[in-house]
Amino acid sequence: MDYEFHWNVVFQNMPQLLNGAFVTLHVSVLAMLLGVVIAILLAIAKMNNTKFFSQVATVWVEIARNTPALFQIYMAYFGLGAFGIHLSPYVAVLSALVFINAGYLTETFRGGFQSIPSTQYSASKSLGMTSIQTYRYIILPQMLRRIYHPMTNQFVWSILMSSLGILVGMSELSGTTQRLQSLSFRTLEFFIVAAVMYFVITKLVLFGSSLLARRLFKGEI
Amino acid sequence: MIRKLAPLVFACAAVTSVSATADQLDTVIQRGTLNCGVVLDFPPMGYFDENNEPAGFDVDYCNDLGEALGVDVNVLNLTWGERIPSLVSGKTDVVIGSTSDTLERAKTVGFTYPYFVFKFQVIANEDKNIESFDDLKNLKVGAALGTTYETEYLAYAEQQGWGKDNYTSFKSENDAYLGLYQGKVDAIISTNTNIATKLRSEEFEDFEAGPYVPNYDDVVGIIAKRDEVAWINYLNLFLVRQIRDGNMNEAYNKHFGTDAPADLIQSLRDNK
Repeated sequence: MDYEFHWNVVFQNMPQLLNGAFVTLHVSVLAMLLGVVIAILLAIAKMNNTKFFSQVATVWVEIARNTPALFQIYMAYFGLGAFGIHLSPYVAVLSALVFINAGYLTETFRGGFQSIPSTQYSASKSLGMTSIQTYRYIILPQMLRRIYHPMTNQFVWSILMSSLGILVGMSELSGTTQRLQSLSFRTLEFFIVAAVMYFVITKLVLFGSSLLARRLFKGEI
Repeated sequence: MIRKLAPLVFACAAVTSVSATADQLDTVIQRGTLNCGVVLDFPPMGYFDENNEPAGFDVDYCNDLGEALGVDVNVLNLTWGERIPSLVSGKTDVVIGSTSDTLERAKTVGFTYPYFVFKFQVIANEDKNIESFDDLKNLKVGAALGTTYETEYLAYAEQQGWGKDNYTSFKSENDAYLGLYQGKVDAIISTNTNIATKLRSEEFEDFEAGPYVPNYDDVVGIIAKRDEVAWINYLNLFLVRQIRDGNMNEAYNKHFGTDAPADLIQSLRDNK
């Protein structure tokens, strides 16, 4: 390849790139936390006998899993904009990622819940536990242990998908990279460095979550 | 004996290596097709016409260039950000895409003589009553990501201490206008030519063209790979001939409805 790399311009702009990387991490961690909470509720709703709850959950899951992330983000920004609801790029991307994370994780969680024998629900009930206590002390700890790895996969996905924030002008890692490369036209250099940063972020997150798992589940994972 | 033969060997090697590295000009002629990159969401320089075919001033220039070279023309639609990657990866031979000729960018790509000069301008809803550029201070402003007017606005905002909080960037020129239309931003920065085109459409009848970005002429060139000096040389002559042969005026007439203004031609000559 007849291309001379100029790395110095990338290093000069490192603070801005790191700032963008921080925004990427920030939005995906938040999207993951909110997504997990909503997904647990949706999974319970989906297994609920009341038709309304299970239908709401089903519609959510179907839309989230069967439409492109790009479309969701665009809808959150320009789609709602057409109705006069103006989210900032950050909030638009965050809500789209939460929506998708929740949709995917619901199915994961539902599988987790269903892998726990129904006898355990009856056993807790016979010990006089309320249903909240049952979930809190018996079901959720086991369920989370079982679905921990699929959940971290979703986390990595959400970090990588946050790069679509560039579509709505969010200044996360990709958006910042795009802006910086347009000044110097050193596209390859900036994109390579951004790719390395994404790699490091996802590896750090995976490492962090395996540390967390070791503490939470005391080596039983 | 060996010593006597050495220069001959070198000479042979030199000849073969010259013929082995056909430059871009040779490549295009031998291929019989010119891959010409244009940004097609930037009317009237580049857009899709009612038949969904590429059209515009830049597309006319691609066709004129193809005609001069005696080759077919393949117009590739690019976003602002794809202009350089498309050249580096060899997808395009040349990008006629209103590329501002900054010295920073010239470290990476080769610029021809300028082929157009734009003014950067504000477009906003009439009720914003923007009289001067400084009226943007407390308004939400947007522009397309990776454009020179984005850079110019941000530089001006920083110099005036406005900060970046009121600024939104959009992925493309069309998205910026969509954002303005929906009211996500109060005003956007674009080029005078694009604004004039948009104001002719029904959607933007409540909008008006505002002040220009102060002290800035956007001089744009055609770009090609930086080391293809002979190719750039050819493109330079092409641009000179576009004006001399009247093709420039013809394209201008077609897309702007008037003869090319004398000050535009003068500016192109001054900026050579």
